[in-house]
Formats: sequence, C-alpha cells, structure tokens
Amino acid sequence: MEISETIRINSPREQVFSALNNVEILKQAIPGCEDIQALSDTEFEATLVSKVGPLKVRFTGTIMLSDIVVPESYTLRGHGRGGPAGHAKITSHIRLVEDGNTTIMSYDVKADIGGKLAQIGGHLVEKTAKKVANEFFQKFEVLIGPAEETEAIALSMSPNKKGTNMWLWGCLGGGAVILIVWLTAYLG
Amino acid sequence: MATTSVVNSADWLGAPLPRKEDMRLVTGTGKYLGDIVLPGMLHAVFVRSEYAHARIKGIDKSEAEIIPGVVKVYTGAELQSTMKSMPQDVLLPNLPAKFPTFWPLATDKVKFHGEPVALVIARDKYIAVDASECVYVDYEELMPVLDPERALESDAPQVHEEHTDNEIFAMTFTGGETVDAQNKNDLEVERIFKTADVVVKERFRVHRTGVTPMEPRGVLCEWSESDGLTAYITTQRPHIDRLALTDILDIPAEKVRVIAPRDQGGGFGIKAPFYRENVIIAQAARDLGRPVKWVESRYENLMNVGQERDQINELEIAANKNGELLAMRNRGIADNGVGSTGVYWGFVMPFLGAVEMPNAYKWPIADVKLRVATTNKASLTPSRAFGHFPTRFALERGIDMVAHLIKMEPSDLRRKNMISELPYTSVTNEYYDSGDFIKVWDNLMDQVDLDTFRKEQTQALSDGRYLGIGFACGVELSGVASELMVPMENQPGYGAATVRLDPRGKVMVYSGDPPQGQGHETTTAQAVAMIFGIDPADVVVTAGDTGTTPFGSGTIGARYGSYFVSAVAKACEQIKEKITKILAHDLKIEADVQHFEFKNGEIVYLGDDTKRKSFREAVERIIMWPIDLPRDEVGGLETTAFFEAEKPMISFNADCCIVEVDLNSGDFEIKRWVTSEDVGNVINPMIVDGQMHGAIVQGLSNTRFEEFVYDDQGQQLTADFEHYKLATAADVPDIEVSYATTPCPHTPLGTRGIGEGRPSSVPGALTNAVCDALMPLGIEITELPLRPDHVWRKIQEAGT
Repeated sequence: MEISETIRINSPREQVFSALNNVEILKQAIPGCEDIQALSDTEFEATLVSKVGPLKVRFTGTIMLSDIVVPESYTLRGHGRGGPAGHAKITSHIRLVEDGNTTIMSYDVKADIGGKLAQIGGHLVEKTAKKVANEFFQKFEVLIGPAEETEAIALSMSPNKKGTNMWLWGCLGGGAVILIVWLTAYLG
Repeated sequence: MATTSVVNSADWLGAPLPRKEDMRLVTGTGKYLGDIVLPGMLHAVFVRSEYAHARIKGIDKSEAEIIPGVVKVYTGAELQSTMKSMPQDVLLPNLPAKFPTFWPLATDKVKFHGEPVALVIARDKYIAVDASECVYVDYEELMPVLDPERALESDAPQVHEEHTDNEIFAMTFTGGETVDAQNKNDLEVERIFKTADVVVKERFRVHRTGVTPMEPRGVLCEWSESDGLTAYITTQRPHIDRLALTDILDIPAEKVRVIAPRDQGGGFGIKAPFYRENVIIAQAARDLGRPVKWVESRYENLMNVGQERDQINELEIAANKNGELLAMRNRGIADNGVGSTGVYWGFVMPFLGAVEMPNAYKWPIADVKLRVATTNKASLTPSRAFGHFPTRFALERGIDMVAHLIKMEPSDLRRKNMISELPYTSVTNEYYDSGDFIKVWDNLMDQVDLDTFRKEQTQALSDGRYLGIGFACGVELSGVASELMVPMENQPGYGAATVRLDPRGKVMVYSGDPPQGQGHETTTAQAVAMIFGIDPADVVVTAGDTGTTPFGSGTIGARYGSYFVSAVAKACEQIKEKITKILAHDLKIEADVQHFEFKNGEIVYLGDDTKRKSFREAVERIIMWPIDLPRDEVGGLETTAFFEAEKPMISFNADCCIVEVDLNSGDFEIKRWVTSEDVGNVINPMIVDGQMHGAIVQGLSNTRFEEFVYDDQGQQLTADFEHYKLATAADVPDIEVSYATTPCPHTPLGTRGIGEGRPSSVPGALTNAVCDALMPLGIEITELPLRPDHVWRKIQEAGT
C-alpha cells in the first residue's frame, strides 16, 4: 500500500511537531490504544486493539524515528504483529511546512501487510484505517489546539452543517494517512 | 433419468444407467475422510508461514505446549534429526532436475506463504487451532523472487540454497537425442523461418490457476506395533503413497497399508502427489501411539495446492501463403513455485505440456524448449489438463493468427494441416495410436454451419454488433503407457483388476485406483454385466485399499477407460473361458467359449439352446462343488489381470465457441459451445457427457475467472472463494456435445480413457472467438485471464 498526502493542521508547526512525538497525546488520541512506551527519544513500543473487518486484533509493534530535523521532517519506520492476524512493516517520510499559524503536513507512506490481514482485502484495511484516522484527528486537534479554534473545528465537523469546509474534510481524510502510518505499524 | 430396461446383455455398453454412487452421495450417507472416526483420535493443525521468503531464527512453542489438551508440538528442527528428508527415489521422476531437499516442516527457511512450519496435535480440533496461534516463529525476512524470468537471472534471490540457480528443470523436446542433432535441427528451423512466406511470433502468458475440488485434502493415520501403519489419505494413488511412506519412515513394507476412503469429493490431480503432510501425520501417529487426523481447511487448500498453468510461451509459427504449416519454435518458461512436492516436483506438468505442444497438426519440423524456474510461491500441483492448458492456448491462438495473416478461415487452416492418418508420431515424439481426427473435425463443422454464421456475423456488424467464432482441438492422453510413465514418473502404466465371482452369481471387482467421483462403480459394473450377461446391480467395485487391491499407479491421466476397464475385461474373459470349459465338460459337449452366449443371467449353448445353465448355478458349482471337473482344472473363480497397451493411446476432441462481445464493457456472452468427441466406445454416455461438461466448465472458469494472485511481497491474496472466483451456474453456457467415434483398436472394449486433458482446448476456442469478433479492430489477445477490463483496454488501444 502506498499513499502520499498533504493536509493542513490548524496549529503552529512547532506545536504539531512536538505533539506528533508526544507519547501522552498519542496515547489519548489513537483509538483503541492500550499503551505506548517510549524506549528512547526515537523508539516506541505500542499496543492497540482494533476491529478490521471480521477480525478483532491486538496489535503490538515497534516504531523508530530517524533523520529527524526539528521541526521540519523525519522518517518513521515501524513493524509489528497483530497476533495470528498478520504483520506489517511501514516506512514513512513526514514533512511539516509553516503557514502562518497553521501547518502544512505532507507525507508518503509505504506499507507492506502480510498474513490474514493482507488476505482480507486491502479495501477493508483502508476503510478501517480511515475510520480510525478520523477519530484520531478529531482528538488530536482537540488535544493540541487552543479552545476557540477547537470549537470552530468541532462545529464545522458536524455532519448536518451545510457548506462543510472542504479543506477541513480534506485534512481529516488526509489525516487518515497519519493514522495508516501508525495503524499499519501495529497491524503486524 | 428412469432405469433402462435392457433387452439383451450387450445393451449395457452404451446405456445411460443412473449412477450407483449417487443415492448415497446426495442423501448424506457418503463416507469421506472427514467422516472416519477412530477411538482415541487426536487432531492436528499446522502452523504455516506468513512470509514468502524468510529465515527461521527460532520457534517458541512453550506457550502452546502447556495448553490443556495439547499433546505435542512438532517443529522442523526435531524432524531433521529424527527422520529422512525428501527426495526419496520412489518419488523421483526419471528426468534430470535439481530436486530440493526438504522435511515435512520448514527447517532453516520458509520459501512460500503457507509453507508448514509447525504441527500442533491436541485432543480436539478447537484446542489445536487455539494452540497453533500460540506458536511464535521469529522470522528474518528475505527478498522473495516472484517472477520466473527474474528467477532465472544470475543475481536473483536463491530459493533453494543447495542449488546454484533457480532453474529446476530444462529440456529440448525436438531434434533428436544428442546436442549435435538438436543443434542441426534448430539451424534448419531457423532457415525455414528466414525464408517462410508468413511468420507469426508472439509471447503468450497464462496465469496461475488450476483446480478446486469440493473436498480438500486429509490424512488419518493409525499405528500399532503388531499391524504397523494404516493411513487413510484423500489420494488418487494409494499404492504409490504406501511405497513412499515405507521408504521415508523406514517401516517394513508389509506393515504399511494405505486406504483411500470410499468416497472422495473430487481430485482433478491435486490428490495425486505425495505430500509432506502424509509423512508428518504418520510419524506423529507412530510417536504418540494414538490415531492422528488432519483435515485441510479451504484456506490451506487454496494456499498450498491446486495452482498450475502459470507459463510464458514465446511461440513462432512459419507457414506458406497456402496455409501449410512449415515449422514451429517455442520457448516455454514455467513458474514452478518451490517445487517441494513429491512425484511431480512442479515441473513434470510443464514437461508434459511441452510434449503435447504439436497437438493434432502435421509439423514437418519444430524446435521446442522449456525452462522451469523455482520461485517463492506454492509448488505447482497437477491440475486437470496436466501441463498443457497454457501450451494449447498459445498454439491455438498462434494458428488463428497465421490464418488472419493469410486471410484464410482458421477452421480451414486447421483441417488442412490436421493429421489425416494414424498411428502418428509427433515432432516431440509423442505417439498417437488411433483415431480419425478429420472425421471428428468434419462432425464439428456439420454442427456449426460456418457459412450461415459468417452471414449472420456480417449482418450483425452492420447493426453495430460484434459476433465471433473460435475453434480449437485437443489430442489427449488416454491413460499413460509404461513407455511414458516409467521415464516421466518412475512408475508403471499398466492397469490391474481383480475380479472375484461369488457363489450367488455376484461379481466383486477390486481396483487399486480409487475414484474421486467419476462413477467407476457404475461403468465397471456395466462392463462386467455386459461380458457376463448379468445385471450391473450384481456387480460391486471396491477400490483404494492397498491391503486388498492389486497394484495400480492411480486414478490419473485418464487411466480408467483405457487401462483399468481393459484389465477388468481381460480378467472377465479369462473367467468366462474357465466357466465355459467346465460347463461344456458338464454338458458332455465339445465346445469352447465362443460357442456360448452369456445373456439375461444365463449361459446358453449356441448349437442347441436346450443346453443352458443359469449364471449363478454355473458359478456356484465351480466354487462350492469342485468335483468331477475336467482334468487339470481346479475350483474357484477369481483372477487378477494386467493390461498394458503396446503403445501409448490417445483420445481427441474439437471445440467451437460463438460469442458476442460488447465493445462498451469488453464483456462477452457465449452464445454457443459445440463439441465433437472421439472418446472410443462409450460405456455410459451420461457419465461421459458429464465428463465433457465438467471439463469445459472448468476450462471456462480457469480462462475467465479463477486466478491465484501473489502481491509484490509474495503474499498470496486469493485464499478464499471471495477472492478466488469460480464460475457459477449462471456463467455456464448450454454445451452441445456430439460424438464421432473410432473405437480404440488396442483395448478389449474399444474404449478410450477420457477427461483428463479435456479442458485444454477451451481457452484457445474462447479467446479465438473473442478475437474473431474484434477482427475489425485488429485485436489479438495473447494473455489470460480473459477478463472484460482486459478486452476493454485492448479495444481502447486499438481505437487510438
């Protein structure tokens, strides 16, 4: 699976960069996350529970960050297992560009999935990843954003509201990629 | 279908008798391997590799072993020190190849997604499955090689490290025995290509597909010190399996018995190899002193077996402008998978596919070569149309492309070049014993009425509709003579049957070749009933138990109608001679077997029909009251006969397909499927029709829908029927089967073995029809599967 995306996050770049590497924020934001331990500044172990199609899976994996240029870019590599459901390996390059008080994040992800998860069908995996990503992004922005901006975001995310901000939905959709990045690391 | 009333005994041959097997099969009283329960039986579940290519750093089975109900967990490491590896001579063909060494469980590396890595044995199936999820394997991933051409490159990842490259087998099939003769031949072929009026040169690709029997595999083994090993295996070849178990596990041969269950839910070739699962389950039964049973899941089945075809054929055909074929040159490359499968090793199928390349056409000269590459995929396993589905697709498409170039009707081109006199030896040294190809072809053309179709096609085109017609034919093996079987598989080709008469006038027939649903119980009964003049209801067939049946190489390669039933006929004739000799003696007349008629349960002297005896009385007298017999006769009426044809035998078929193609979607509808068959004398036409239907449906399903897909990491993505699509009833056209028979002169009943190779002419006929429909756009399709999106893309390309 290969994905490339560019999204906008309504927070300053330094804040976004630091939050992406903040174990406490991630633990709260990632749906189903049972635990994340930082083994070092650049290595993490994580456990999370998710339902992918008919499979309920507990994922455990390791993530390593490298080529870190604060607050611009880094490379993320992850691998892990979902018990008997299969394994995954991912490599991702993430780049953050300042745009006033917001951040433009671009990333590419390459994920290799193996075992029963690969056989269930890529569409189910992607569907799950997007769902988890949406949830993650909602929580992530709440956790890092200032209160008034958070409210505006919450309002514009209401499904009943007309004239939904396409750019924001684009962000959330694109945010699925971040989550595919984390999630597929754990799918193994 | 109502029971037929038989007027005289000869009517049994050719009677569409309802099958004796079917009542039990459709009322849930069949007895399959899954139904066999032995006291104290344990259940086995395999842990299988999740990687296409990886080193095994370690296996942690400690968590699994302590689960209550788990009896034992095996890994490859302990097998290495306690049992022999493969290959063993008994499972090697007489062909030069690089055979990989392997144990039933992976040892240092896993080489395909799905390879068995550990075996869990537990009190019940559910505990075993749970425990299998607690066996943790530490893998170090290696780069897989997933394409045969890539695998043959010098810097490709090496699948079997004991070898220096991934070429498991290569051969030249034409030009003679020596390299010099072959080189000379190839130069002559090259000269012809340089000077020919017309040359077609194309690369044909057939995907990985094969067969999916309704019943997957299974093994149940029982061991006792006194009786040795009894192995129930879903197998087409119990006598061969028995030899393999004997040799690999070092058990004295007299203490090994293999039993194929009375009912099997389809084989189609995948139950013919000798599999690694057989070995480890038998070993476990011996170790643990309790019966051990393994039943394959559909998931395992699709991961491990049933994968075949998967060939590239770079084919060239030279012809003159009158449509005479001058020469053929073919470079085949087959994707073998790992090849760790006993008897066939994957490559024996492409081997036969290359042999069968010339088909029914006169080739003055040819240059046919094959290379087979190992890759990190499941091994090829035999699948009906053993090896020649891809070569036949290439050839039949190539013939059409020649016809298009010289603007000749493809059916005319075929007839012009069709072998008109048999016996004939093909340019790859395959012997065609008998038959009349032209008669079969003309019968097909009568059913088809090509002239009318061409008019309809032209009219339809002016209405914006695209109709097409396609042809193909197939010379198929009718059994496998020892002459071919010994070099190919190190096994004999003869048929063997034991016929035992019973004092109540019944007949028992014993066969070492078990059926998987072909209706052998019925057709055998019909043949015996015809010979003895009795009712098929009084004939019972027992098959597949090595303890009670004569040696047979198995139900493979259409051996039944060719070799087995011929051995039955031979045995019956021998018994008939003895019966008539003793009867003549009792009646005090000078007569032998041709002076008597066996019919309606009686034996009647033709010279005076007051002299007669019922079959039952005649038989009872000889078995139960063997006194006052002719000199040097003893009582008893039982014999085992062996049948070997002097030369290899064939059957022949021709297909015609008419389609309509929708240019907007690339999809097509089969409007007609017409066949013409020479299957020799037919014992049961209903069963033979069924064989033809089944073969054609399988061919269509393989061509249009089924495909085993591996992703770029070697993950096999088509391990359930949601992803591996089979044809359904809605996809099957009405199939018009007709017969243009030449009885086989080499078998007692004039029968031919049929069914094995039959699917092979389907991809060519169908694709030729689609291309004929798309002739206005100049489209030639050279790749399978034949899917609407593929056709649509070709249509778009042609438009630009």
